[in-house]
Amino acid sequence: MTDILPHLLNGLTLGLLFALIALGFTLIVGVMEVINLAHGSLFALGAYFALTVLGAGWFGDTAFGAWWLSLAIETRYVAALLIGPLLAALAGMALELCLRPTYGKAPLYGLLLTFGAALVIEEIIRLGWGTGEQNLQVPAAINGPILVAGFIYSKYKFFAAGFSLVAIVAVWLFLERTPYGAIIKAGAHDSEMVRALGYDLSKLRLLVFGFGAALAGLAGIIMVPIWGLRPHVGIDVVIPAFLIIVIGGIGSFWGAVVAALLVGLAVGITGAYAGAWATMSMYILLIVVVGFRSRGLFGRKSALEN
Amino acid sequence: MSQGKFTRRTLLGGAAAGSALTVFAGPWKHNRVWAQASDKPIRIGLTSDASGQYANSGASDRRGMMMAIDEANERGGVLGRKIQWVHIDTETVPATGSRVAERMITREECGFLIGAVHSGVANAISQVAQKYGVIYLNTNSSSPTEAGQNCHRTKFVWDGNGTNFAKAAVKNAIDTYGKNWMLLTNDYVWGHDTAKATKALLAQYGGEVMEEILIPQGTRDFSSALLRVQQQKPAVVSAAIGGDDQKAFRQQVAQLGMGANPAWINSQQDWPDVYGLPIDNLFGVFGTTWYYKLDLPGVADFVKTYQERYPDTQMRVPGNVFYNGYMSTRELLSAVERAGSTNNIAVIKALEGHKMPAADRMQHHDAWIDPATHQVQQTIYLATANSKWTEADKDGLFEIVTNTAPDAVLDTAAPEACKLESYEDTPSFDA
Amino acid sequence: MISLADIPSRSPVQAYGPVALLALALATAPWWLPAIGLYQYLGVEVAIWMIFALGFNLLFGYAGLHSFGHGAYLGIGAYAFGLFQQNVALSLWGGLGAAILAAGFAGAIVGVFVSHRRGIYYALLTIAFGQVFWFSSMKLYGITGGEDGLLGIPRPPLTFFGLEFDLRSNVALFYLSAIFLLLTVLILWRLVNSPFGRVLQAIRQNETRARFAGYEVWRFKWAAFVISAMFAGLAGGLFSMAQQSAYPDVMSLHQSGLIVMMVLVGGGLVSFWGPVLGVILYFVARDVLGGLTETWLLWYGLMFMAMVMLRPEGVAGMLHLGWKRLRGGEKPAVLAAEKA
Repeated sequence: MTDILPHLLNGLTLGLLFALIALGFTLIVGVMEVINLAHGSLFALGAYFALTVLGAGWFGDTAFGAWWLSLAIETRYVAALLIGPLLAALAGMALELCLRPTYGKAPLYGLLLTFGAALVIEEIIRLGWGTGEQNLQVPAAINGPILVAGFIYSKYKFFAAGFSLVAIVAVWLFLERTPYGAIIKAGAHDSEMVRALGYDLSKLRLLVFGFGAALAGLAGIIMVPIWGLRPHVGIDVVIPAFLIIVIGGIGSFWGAVVAALLVGLAVGITGAYAGAWATMSMYILLIVVVGFRSRGLFGRKSALEN
Repeated sequence: MSQGKFTRRTLLGGAAAGSALTVFAGPWKHNRVWAQASDKPIRIGLTSDASGQYANSGASDRRGMMMAIDEANERGGVLGRKIQWVHIDTETVPATGSRVAERMITREECGFLIGAVHSGVANAISQVAQKYGVIYLNTNSSSPTEAGQNCHRTKFVWDGNGTNFAKAAVKNAIDTYGKNWMLLTNDYVWGHDTAKATKALLAQYGGEVMEEILIPQGTRDFSSALLRVQQQKPAVVSAAIGGDDQKAFRQQVAQLGMGANPAWINSQQDWPDVYGLPIDNLFGVFGTTWYYKLDLPGVADFVKTYQERYPDTQMRVPGNVFYNGYMSTRELLSAVERAGSTNNIAVIKALEGHKMPAADRMQHHDAWIDPATHQVQQTIYLATANSKWTEADKDGLFEIVTNTAPDAVLDTAAPEACKLESYEDTPSFDA
Repeated sequence: MISLADIPSRSPVQAYGPVALLALALATAPWWLPAIGLYQYLGVEVAIWMIFALGFNLLFGYAGLHSFGHGAYLGIGAYAFGLFQQNVALSLWGGLGAAILAAGFAGAIVGVFVSHRRGIYYALLTIAFGQVFWFSSMKLYGITGGEDGLLGIPRPPLTFFGLEFDLRSNVALFYLSAIFLLLTVLILWRLVNSPFGRVLQAIRQNETRARFAGYEVWRFKWAAFVISAMFAGLAGGLFSMAQQSAYPDVMSLHQSGLIVMMVLVGGGLVSFWGPVLGVILYFVARDVLGGLTETWLLWYGLMFMAMVMLRPEGVAGMLHLGWKRLRGGEKPAVLAAEKA
């Protein structure tokens, strides 16, 4: 029976990573009522921006580039963690501007526009960074193996899971404990109210979409040292993110987190004992949950259904 | 294949009854004559992926074909005719492969099709090619089914397959590392075929399978399988994991530092997939059919020609995918020369059984095109990460461990599975 | 924005013109396709995708139900056709029947889950179920051939009242697909202009009001889903004959997105004929752009984004507005389009 303990630990770690992947997606669906199919492309874009920042990219041949590369990897990595999501946020904001004509229409238009954007962003990545496999370096302190109770785990994966936990709590605190969060949440349910309070709704939407894109980019930077970096890396993101919010229930923050942990455990345990079913377990979980609760675990009837 | 299900009678009956339709359809077995004038260029369709999972390998493959075509044109063409090529993106999607093949044959008037990395795309193209009798070279898909159950009279397969690599590796690994093995198998046709070959060899040489873990396609996290490996403590793990899954897998084994213990036997590592990655991403023993630092005459010149021709390419040295693209195209053109004609049946006969001296192909052993399966039987190399790797020579990723002659690694199951269409059932035409 | 109601298509009489035009174009296609630089096989695919798109638009344009996982039913039809040929009997009618029934059956089951939902939940659930089918087709490789696909699917001869036609040339298959396309047009035309079709449109305009009007809305939504899945199945059966194989890729999210893209760009939201225009535009753009540049997806993606932002009523809507303007300034319709 103790046999299963390492797999439980591993499943929880996986679950936290899934939650990080779904975070930006959940936020945008919950607040903006947009199913952002470009989420995966923004994920990839964040990672590619981080790659450029780490390697001095566009300034490579200048004195600034030489100075930058002489800095410790830790410094550059932290810079990449900040600048990568920021640039992804800019891309996300540009996408939000494109989305404006679709507001007030069926949710389908947002879905379609972001579907087109996903194609475009992936092609831009190919043109800008090439089609080949790349490697995003991480500091030695968080890389390499670590022994826990006689088993080798990846130090980096614990770092990533911890990082994800911090990100989840930070986003939650931001939404629940700051006035900005209150406004964002109000914007999701009652745009009239936001206007009446004197806030600019379109600016709010711009910022929320940028925030969601930044989270996607951040997830990209954290995930690619595990998954590898290639132009189409984003296609592996949308589906899990998708399943997680359907299982958790749209608009429910903790629903998404709980769903991610459940998916992580299901995948982790089947991966060890019934490998062939590891991916299928996500879908089975989905069907079981939706079969009993069609709005997901924590989903309530919402305005989005009209 | 599909044609085999029709009897001659229904075919003729159909033609008679459906006379109204056959006016447009033409007789089924027709001889197309595109190239009446002998100065008309020979047209070749390059069916390599430019988007999707194998976009990067597809580009490398295509550069190989183009170099061979350029060289032939510089020599004045083939049979006095210039060679033209057309490229259309096959998107790493089989359905697109079908459509592209139809367009290349019926609209672009291509007499030959070359290129594939993905076995599904290769299958799709080869079905269409066989329907029209157009010769198709599968350059880089290493699925055993390609020269097995899905073989065709018009298709020639240039890469070594999973069985070849397993045969080169298994016996040696049992002797060196031990007989308790674990298998990590990608849960789809290629993975299962490769694992089956490994299991048969283990049974033959006294190895034992402790456990086989199936890995669904599209898996990005291998931690549970890797934990399971630690719990079971096998001497050797044989991994048949392909495509993007393999890239993620490699990265995660490196992070765990598990590359040295247990011993790993991997399938082929394509050069475009590993080029530019840190050396610790390579671990265990893996297969390849060619390496740019093979200690053989001509290799250095070949690398230099590549660098001069493609000065702006990110990949600074050619790899196995480029090599297959180049060699297959060159051999096709020389077969046309030998046949003295672009008649497809004549060219097929010139290719079947053709022997290619080791020196010409820059490998250690002579190669030949198997007439029963149309697979190129060639030297199989086993390699590991280069233990003497330095930053100064950062492309020198591999260290070649052994080379095995083709007759020692023959895929003996293939001829039983492969049923080539007869010459008569293959439409004939001049390209 | 203008909607389906703005382009009147009520009586069958009005359909004769476009139907005759389509029939003429189809009948002569094998002659003019090569003349304009295209090829016969493309004609086959275009005709098949038109069937798929028209059936999809019953759900999408008329009922306003945004299924984003419809590729699955095309795929199920393709596998069903192939498996019927290989395991039951070599028969065109049997195969197509199996394709339609299998896709309809899958649609009926999924329809039960999704038909009580609306808006974003509808889209989410259809995507999720589409993914389940897509993944299953790869997982059940013993039946479907997995990633490599189900290969060697024959094109059985067409038997009809004792006559037998060989379908192995692309031109013959094109005519078969064209006949099915015309049948599809006729059936769907009657359907959308029947009471059933009017209830679907009422649901699109206001589901709640339709419910208060006494309709059991979910039954209508369910029926629309099943019918469109059956047309997808028919298209899938024909597609597997065209390709002589069935592959999992057609069931992926990407491919399901493409059909929505085609229908929208063509103007499926405003016209019965929108899907037809959209399919033509997509296939020709892909074939021409794809031959010119490797980054064709970039250009097509940009074009599509511009379309969603600026002209969501699609080609059909633009033609309609242009026509109105020509006939003498019926400005209000244009304004309505821009306002929305």
